Amino acid sequence: MTATTTTPTPVPGTTPRVGTWTVTWHGVRTVAALELRQRVRSSRWKTALIVWFVVVGAITLLAGGVLTIFDDSAVRSDQAGAVLFVVVTALVLGLGLLVTPTLASTAVNGDRSAGTLATLQVTLLSPAEIAAGKLLAAWLSACAFLVVSLPFFAIALAMGGVPVATLPRVVVLIALLLAAVCGMGLGWSTLAARPAGSTVLTFVTVAALTVFTPVFFGLTYPFLSTTEDVQVYGVPDSYWMETDDETGMPTAPPVCELSVQERSVARTERTWWLLAINPFAVVADGAVPASATTYDDSPAGAVGSATQALRDLRLGEPEVLDECWSDEGTSDVIPVRDGAGPVWPVGLAVNLLLGAAGFVVAVRRLRIPQRTLARGTRVA
Amino acid sequence: MPPDAPHDPPDGPAPAADASTSTPPGTGPAAVASAVALAPRPNGIEVTGLRRAFGTVKALDGADLVARAGAVTALVGPNGSGKTTLLLVLAGLLVPDSGQVRVAGHDPVTDNAGARARTGWMPDSFGTWDSLTAREVLATFADAYRVDRATASARIDELLATVHLTEYADQPAAVLSRGQKQRLGLARALVHDPQVLLLDEPASGLDPRSRVDLRILLRRLADEGRTVLVSSHVLSELDEMADDAVFLSRGRTVAGMSEADVATGRRTWQVRSLSLEALTSWLDSTGTAYRPDGATRLADAAAGTVGAGGVLVDVDGETGAVALLRDAVTAGVPVVSSAPAAGALEQAYLALEEERR
Repeated sequence: MTATTTTPTPVPGTTPRVGTWTVTWHGVRTVAALELRQRVRSSRWKTALIVWFVVVGAITLLAGGVLTIFDDSAVRSDQAGAVLFVVVTALVLGLGLLVTPTLASTAVNGDRSAGTLATLQVTLLSPAEIAAGKLLAAWLSACAFLVVSLPFFAIALAMGGVPVATLPRVVVLIALLLAAVCGMGLGWSTLAARPAGSTVLTFVTVAALTVFTPVFFGLTYPFLSTTEDVQVYGVPDSYWMETDDETGMPTAPPVCELSVQERSVARTERTWWLLAINPFAVVADGAVPASATTYDDSPAGAVGSATQALRDLRLGEPEVLDECWSDEGTSDVIPVRDGAGPVWPVGLAVNLLLGAAGFVVAVRRLRIPQRTLARGTRVA
Repeated sequence: MPPDAPHDPPDGPAPAADASTSTPPGTGPAAVASAVALAPRPNGIEVTGLRRAFGTVKALDGADLVARAGAVTALVGPNGSGKTTLLLVLAGLLVPDSGQVRVAGHDPVTDNAGARARTGWMPDSFGTWDSLTAREVLATFADAYRVDRATASARIDELLATVHLTEYADQPAAVLSRGQKQRLGLARALVHDPQVLLLDEPASGLDPRSRVDLRILLRRLADEGRTVLVSSHVLSELDEMADDAVFLSRGRTVAGMSEADVATGRRTWQVRSLSLEALTSWLDSTGTAYRPDGATRLADAAAGTVGAGGVLVDVDGETGAVALLRDAVTAGVPVVSSAPAAGALEQAYLALEEERR
C-alpha cells in the first residue's frame, strides 16, 4: 500500500471516562449530525417536506376560503381568524403525530439491520450519547415540519381574533409533544427487533393517547355514574304549571331556588386524566391563557368552553348543580369552584414522562457489552 | 501461539468427546495450559477459557487464544466455529458467560471503554451510511473516538490514501463498490490509531490487488507493534500474512501454530519433473512414499505416454524438503520445481478436519 509513515501513538495512559449515562455535547452532536446528514440528503425527506407544505397549505387556504364565504360580513373576520387558527393547529398537531413516529421509531433497530449500529457502539460514544443524538435528530426533523407550517399559522393570526401570544404557546407545546413521541419511538425501536414492528408500536402508542383516551373515557362514563340526591339550583317545576291561557307562557317571572332532586352523577374526577393526556387537549388547554378563555358561541369559542369543561371534569360533580338559566348572578348561592386550574401541565408531563421512559429504555438497551440478545437479532 | 504449543492436534481436546462434558475454567486441556503459562503481554490479546452460549447453542466453549503484539495472528475455523462470537467478545459487544479476556491489558467486560479505546474492529458484514461521503464517515468516527480535529483531518487523508480511496473521498458511500466499502470499513477501524485490530473476514469482496495491499498493510501495522487478529477461511491468504494461527472448532481452540511449527512440521510438497517416469522410479528406488498430484495419472506415466508430471511427497519440515530436492537432483531426476503442495494453514486445517472424522 502507499508508503505512509505512521508511528503508533503510545498507549494513552488515561482512557476517557465513558459510562452509560455520560453525556457530552460533542458526542450528542456527532450522532445527531450523522443522523441528520444521512436523513437530509435523501430525496424522500425533501419530498415529505414538500408534500407536507402543500397539504397543510391547501387545507389552510381552502378552510380560509370557506370561512370567508360563510361569514361575508367583515366584522366577523375575527371569528374566521380564530377558527382558521384552530384548524391549522389541529391539522399540524394531527399530521405531526402521524409523521413523527416514523422519524424515531426505526432509529436503533433500523441501524441494527443496516449493520451500522455496532460499529458506532464500539466507539467511545456512550449509550446515552447515541440515544440522545438520535432523539435530537428525530426531534429536529419533526420540528422542520412544524417550521414549514409556520406561514399558515401566520396567515391565521393575520386574520385576527387570536392573541399573538397564542402562537408561541401552541408551537412550543406541539414541539414538546412531538419530542415526547420521538422518545417513545426511540424506546420502541430498541425493544422491537424489526423496524416495522417498532413503527407500529409507536403508532399504537400515539393512537392510545389521542384516540383511545376519549373512547375509554366515554366507555367508563356509565360505570362511574350513580343516581344520587343532589342539590339543584334552578327554576322550580311549579313555574311551568301556571301558564297564561292565551300565550301558553308561564305567568310568573322565573325565580330560581334550591331543591333536592335525584340526578345521575358521574365521578369524572377518577377519569378526567384520560382526556387530559390527549395531545389535542394539552394544546387546546395550554394554548389559551386561563384569563383569556371566552365563552362565545363561535367554533373557536367552543374550544375554550371544551377545555373549561375538561377542567371541571377534574373536580367531578359540583356540590350544587347550576340550572338557573334566568339569572346570571348565581355566585351568592352556588359556591365558586376554584382549584380547577389548567389541566395541560398534567397532560404534558405525562406525555413527556412517556417520552423520557422511552429514552431510558433506549439507553439501557444500547449498553455494551450485551448480556442478552433480542430474539433473532445479530449484534453487528 | 507459543512456539512450544503443540502443532499436532492430539494434545488438543478431542472436540467431539469434550464438547459434552463441561470442563470448569482453568482445568482445560493441555493446549490451554501452555497458553495460560505465558507471560502477560500488555498490548496483545489474551483469552482464557472463554464460554458463551446463545440459548442451547454453545458458540464458545472454552476458547483460549493469545495474540502477540507485533504479529499477525490468524483465527481459523469452519463456519459456525465461534470466530465471530469470539471477535464480538473481544470488541466489547458481548459479555462472555465465563472466562478471562484481556485486550491491550484491559478487560472488555469490566473496563469496556478502556478496551474500546484501544481496539479497532471491522465486522464481517457492516453497513455504510449511504448518504455520507467516505471522508465524512471517517470524520464522524474520528469524532466518535474523540480524536481531536487537527489530528483527525491529517489522519483521514492519510488513511484514504492508504486504502486507495482518495479519489472517492468526497463521493457518497452509496457509489462505492463492495470492495471499496470494505476498504472504507478498514480505514474506519484504523481511524483512532488502535493498538489492537480485530478483522473479521477483511478480504471478502476485495480484488486481487486490494488483497495484496491488505496483506502489506496488515504486515506493516504488525511491524509497528500492533496486535492484529484476522479471521478468514481463505487459508492461502492468511498463510501469506499470518505469523501465528489459532484453530477454532465448535467453540474451542483446537490447536495453535507458529512460524516455527511451519518450518518443522510434516508437510506435503509437490515435486514436478520433466520426466515423471524418472521421478517415480527414483522415488520407488529410495523407498519414499508418494501420491499422484491429481494433475497426472500414474498409469499414464507408467505407460510412458506422459512426459512431464508431478507427485506429492510428505516431508519433515523444510529441512526434509531440502534433502529430498538435493537427492533427486543428485540422482539425475530432471526436477522442475519443488514447493509446498498447499499452504501450511490449509494442511494443518485439513489435518484437524480429518482428525475429527
